[in-house]
Amino acid sequence: MESGKQNEYAAFEEKVRRTVYLDNLSPNVTESIVRTALDQYGTVKSVEFIPNYLEPRNMPQCALVEMEKGKQAKVVISTLSEFPFMMSGMPRPVRARAAVAEMFGDRPRKPGRQIRICWLDTADPDFEVASKLKQLVKRHATETAVMLKHQLEKEEKLAKQQGETLKANYKKYEMIDSLMADGAARRLARCYNLRVSDDSGPSTFH
Amino acid sequence: MVEVDGIENLEFKWGKKRGTGGTNTKVQFYESFTYDGLDYTLYDNVYLHKEGEPLPYLGKLIKIWETASRLKKVKVLWFFQPSEISNYLFVELAHPNEVFLASGEGVGLANINPLEAIAGKCNVVCISKDDRNPQPSDEDIQMADYVFYRTFDVGQRIILDKIDGKIAGIDVKFIFNQSGSLKPCSIHNFSVDEPASENAIETNGRVVMSKLNSSENQISEDDRQVEQKPVVAENGFNHKAEENSDVKASSVKPNLSLQQEVVPGVVSESGELAKTNDRSGDRTGLSLKIKANADSKLKNPSGEEIGCVNQVKSEEKLKSVKDTVELDERPHKKAKLDNSVKVYSDKETTKCATEPCGTAKIPSKKLKIDDKFKKSNNCKSPAVPSNDGIKTGDKAMEVTRRPDSDRSKWFGELPWEESLPDAHEFGKLVLFQNLDPAYSSAEVEDIVWNAFSETCRAKMVQQTAYSSPHFGQAFAIFKSREVAEDVIKKLDERCLLLPNRRPLVASIPNPCFSRKQSMFAGHLIVDKLKSQREMKEAVSTSHSSQPNTVEYDMAMEWFLMTERSNQFWKKLYEQQGKELKKLRVNFKSK
Repeated sequence: MESGKQNEYAAFEEKVRRTVYLDNLSPNVTESIVRTALDQYGTVKSVEFIPNYLEPRNMPQCALVEMEKGKQAKVVISTLSEFPFMMSGMPRPVRARAAVAEMFGDRPRKPGRQIRICWLDTADPDFEVASKLKQLVKRHATETAVMLKHQLEKEEKLAKQQGETLKANYKKYEMIDSLMADGAARRLARCYNLRVSDDSGPSTFH
Repeated sequence: MVEVDGIENLEFKWGKKRGTGGTNTKVQFYESFTYDGLDYTLYDNVYLHKEGEPLPYLGKLIKIWETASRLKKVKVLWFFQPSEISNYLFVELAHPNEVFLASGEGVGLANINPLEAIAGKCNVVCISKDDRNPQPSDEDIQMADYVFYRTFDVGQRIILDKIDGKIAGIDVKFIFNQSGSLKPCSIHNFSVDEPASENAIETNGRVVMSKLNSSENQISEDDRQVEQKPVVAENGFNHKAEENSDVKASSVKPNLSLQQEVVPGVVSESGELAKTNDRSGDRTGLSLKIKANADSKLKNPSGEEIGCVNQVKSEEKLKSVKDTVELDERPHKKAKLDNSVKVYSDKETTKCATEPCGTAKIPSKKLKIDDKFKKSNNCKSPAVPSNDGIKTGDKAMEVTRRPDSDRSKWFGELPWEESLPDAHEFGKLVLFQNLDPAYSSAEVEDIVWNAFSETCRAKMVQQTAYSSPHFGQAFAIFKSREVAEDVIKKLDERCLLLPNRRPLVASIPNPCFSRKQSMFAGHLIVDKLKSQREMKEAVSTSHSSQPNTVEYDMAMEWFLMTERSNQFWKKLYEQQGKELKKLRVNFKSK
């Protein structure tokens, strides 16, 4: 039975190596979208979204994507880190990282792991230290929460900023477009004796 | 008349016919049949043995037929044990033997099974105060294996007090006690005994009979054997046994329900008897292993109980060990079982005043605990005798596997997404922090079991890119709000140290379960350009951005931002790690 467990765990570790952790996913992203998106890099075996119970509501989604081969996973990670990959919206890119065992929900036990626990009472000399540790852990948890909130705020700020720049740019292009369209530019050009070519505005942002 | 072969040879005879039907009229419905010496009628309550399951289930026959290919089938409406539904609901029992009838619509209401899965009849009395229900007398209730008055709606997963007009398509009058079935039912059982009971039981009866005739002080042992049979055989033997066994039987009756699954086990215990189904075979194998362990365990210091066990004859030991197996496999009733064991063992020690009787139960409890060791850590059997910490819990204890409460998972456990919000509402949800992030959910459950003797369902919270590498968190759903609050209080007042000197922190979490996410920063849309439909189509594509686009530049800005935040996180966790280390150094012990 022990070897069975070890095999199970070894298989699990292997799976971890083949899995990509995707971050910064929009709430609109579904499993099929992820699959089609990453299919170009190899065979996607499974997609699992990590449920968010404790982090703030607006945190972007994250998912674990299991690829068929470890190499494919590595390719995904390296490509997505170099070139921004958009999924279901722009321009925020999706982030990919190598998955770690702790990210998985249903992981098997690690075989041979021994856990020893013991209770401490107030009389025990270590009780003080242990209580302090408890406090510290709680404090760390709140620190993390604050960081997360902070980060979210920054992200929102950036997004808003980008949104405004985009709108401004868009307005400019629209204006140029309309000028070209209704012939005002041509008339003006004739007025000023300038040559104007007739290609439409370079709006690649669709 | 030892039955050598398997079930195939058990005698069978059809009884009253009911009609034909089905897609081709080749299907013949029946109202009664005789199987293995017992008469079954439609709407009888039976035990069913499911392949692969160690314990039989309780059900009501609501349809009996033979198919065109000569296969005999029954449709069974299920009764639930409280343990099977306690995962979903807080169950307060009106009676120690209460079960719940399935109702409503959905999976788990009724199943079609081969007739051969039937393992015996069961006396279930309906104690509902409904007008339509013939009220059982107190004696009926005492004699019953189980009682019920409530149903469990499998669709809504709630307990209903009222019984409607129909359950699973059959009229309630068949759910309630059949008029004339209360008293006669017990007689029915008696008469069944004398001819051919389940062969196994009969042969065992022979053994018992011979024992009875042999010596006076063997009576109590035999009573123990007698107790373990289901109502069917037990009543019969009571007649044949001495008076005190009668008394004993009724006092021990409620305990029967906990042990009736021993039937096949008891069968095989006598050794020469052939197995009538694989289940008992498995049990023997397991019990022999446990017996070996039990022997080693007997060396453990624990007072007069062990001494008594030594006096017990070999079959008795094997039997009690067998009990252990059964009892062990029903640990969710452990709390009740322990109490009842204590009560009845006390009663019996006073009544029969022979030690084997009472102690057979006590060591069974102890053996149960030790069995846990054996089951989980096979490779550590030499270490087992030295590990007595499990009982005291004062010093460091080894965390061992929690016994599996498989029955309660019949419904296939509710997926976590569903059970979490429910549990939180009832206050049963606890968040554990400061676990080792590498632990699995099962280990968390084991830790809880070892530290608090409470079962729970645990799930490690999955880590994300922002989770602290220093500790892990887990959700745990306990049986009730009180248990959850108790656990938290205990962890606050005292300290439970996990390995690596981590004190466990517990709290009531404030999780958010709504799936809707209000906004996602970073995805921009150009309003005027897109109509709704176009937007949807465009959105479903994914692509790598090319450097000559506006979006590329913006994406670069995002990259920059995520890089910065990565740095922040790294620094934060490094800092936290340092603080933790500083404190840990102060630990005086180890």
